Amino acid sequence: MAITILAPAPAIIPYQAESSPDDSDDGGVDLQGDVSMRPAKRARHSREIITPGEIITDDAQWMRGHGTYVAASSSEIIATVAGTVQKTNKLLSVRPLRARYTPEIGDLVVGRIIEVQSKRWRVDVGAPVLANLPLSAINLPGGILRRRTETDELQIRTFFSEGDLLVAEVQALYQDGSASLHTRSLKYGKLRNGVFMSVSGVGGGGGVVRARRQVWTIDTAHGGGKVDVILGVNGYIWISKHVEVTGGEAAITRIEESVSSTVYSSQNDAIERETRREMARIGGVIQLLVTEGLRVDEDMVMKGYEAAVEVDNLNTGESNAYLSVEKGQEVLKLLRGI
Amino acid sequence: MPLDTSSYSLALLRLDGRRWNELRRLTAQISTQASADGSSYLEMGNTKVICTVSGPSEQKAAGSDRGERDKAGVRVEISVAGFSGVERKRRGRNDKRINEMATTISSAFQTNLFTNLFPHSTITLSLHLLSSDGSVLAALLNASTLALIDAGIPMKDYICACTAGSTSSYSSNDESADPLLDLNAQEELELPFLTVATLGGSDSVSVLVMETKVQVGRLEGMLAVGVDGCKQVREVLDEVVRERGSRILEGTKL
Repeated sequence: MAITILAPAPAIIPYQAESSPDDSDDGGVDLQGDVSMRPAKRARHSREIITPGEIITDDAQWMRGHGTYVAASSSEIIATVAGTVQKTNKLLSVRPLRARYTPEIGDLVVGRIIEVQSKRWRVDVGAPVLANLPLSAINLPGGILRRRTETDELQIRTFFSEGDLLVAEVQALYQDGSASLHTRSLKYGKLRNGVFMSVSGVGGGGGVVRARRQVWTIDTAHGGGKVDVILGVNGYIWISKHVEVTGGEAAITRIEESVSSTVYSSQNDAIERETRREMARIGGVIQLLVTEGLRVDEDMVMKGYEAAVEVDNLNTGESNAYLSVEKGQEVLKLLRGI
Repeated sequence: MPLDTSSYSLALLRLDGRRWNELRRLTAQISTQASADGSSYLEMGNTKVICTVSGPSEQKAAGSDRGERDKAGVRVEISVAGFSGVERKRRGRNDKRINEMATTISSAFQTNLFTNLFPHSTITLSLHLLSSDGSVLAALLNASTLALIDAGIPMKDYICACTAGSTSSYSSNDESADPLLDLNAQEELELPFLTVATLGGSDSVSVLVMETKVQVGRLEGMLAVGVDGCKQVREVLDEVVRERGSRILEGTKL
């Protein structure tokens, strides 16, 4: 084989970070931009639909990923789900249009306790199998550094009992695809003062997507006060009244210690009528985004909420949080106009 | 005699005006029920079926007789509406015929789906027969395939099914009888027929059910016509999935 000498290629232009705000709202510094970094290998996906049984390629250079299989004694990569092809370097995978949630490490999820066992809880996170929440992975009352004792095991139901909702993070994955959760942060824990909604079973770019911020507070209109929204990656959503953390910002190390039994309280606070109405409005906006197959993230929910408030203000008569079909269309029109 | 055999030999037209190799009108929709993991609605002529898939979800500890814990089980529930047939008939909980159809569907999908990806979980297919006019098992299989695709459960290929028959009855012993594709209820009453399901566009048969008697010489022709019909069914089902997919992708552009 003859040797060919290639002409030298010009050096790669260093990656310019977009002008992003250095600090995020919760005080963290954006790491990107400190040093010039090349963009991470981004997965590229086409917008063409592939259906099960369709041959994606017969080229042996590709590796098969999720949503594909290789038939015995051939090099053809065949799709197993209906969706779009995604190429990451030499890895071919098919992203399904709609599928159940599959946990990944670091996901923020909202879940419901299904079963209480002696040293762990079993949590429904919308995945094919229930997730585990070990007793050792929660913040125990009376300080983060306290040892887990037998007394805690005996009163396991005082922390979480069947039917309780919680927000947690996926800590580890097991071989069978089930997840192990933890709530070892003040951001996580039992949920109260709000409403739950589920938008699971959506995919193909719609539904809840992994985003930089999954939890944020909305300053609502019409005197509704502050409302927290938690978008679980698993499609479970929690909308609740914002409760100020007692103790103030100064004693940030003390807060960890003062994890008291109120964290595990199941008692709701009083929620004013105005707040309830705005919570219902946010819920309606999310429902609208889901039925239209749009992605549900902070940006879209905020835009949708503003549009919904605007539409409501234009209507004469009493303010109404219910997003009817006509109002939904007007909200969508505003959204598309932006 | 429901099927006027004399008129068939004259004009080569069946009772509903079809030729021997024509399917009935086949229409389908997917994602018909928002709360289910996957759902579909399918019409094959006047046979109408809805299917909902739930799961894969955690297996209930009690009452699961499946020993395999490294695979997902496929559970099939079929309910036949009282108004589906010509006359109202009460069907018990364990109607043998329905149970056999459920077992057939379950075992077909057990091998076609990648059940090893979902250990110790169950995929439940809930099928409702709303209107019955022949080719019931075929319609149930096609509706299940669509609902499973909608649920995003990985499978080797579509399972597409249809029926094939023969133009004269067993007793007439007519070796030169033509094969027929996609029988309706009237034809099913009188003529020998089989239900065949293939894996997508290939010729590999995954389901073959025959409950009537026929001379073995005619079987090959019937099977060939049935397999050919399955390929036509696949094209229709594929079109339904693609249309839905492009609608979803279009919606996400904003």
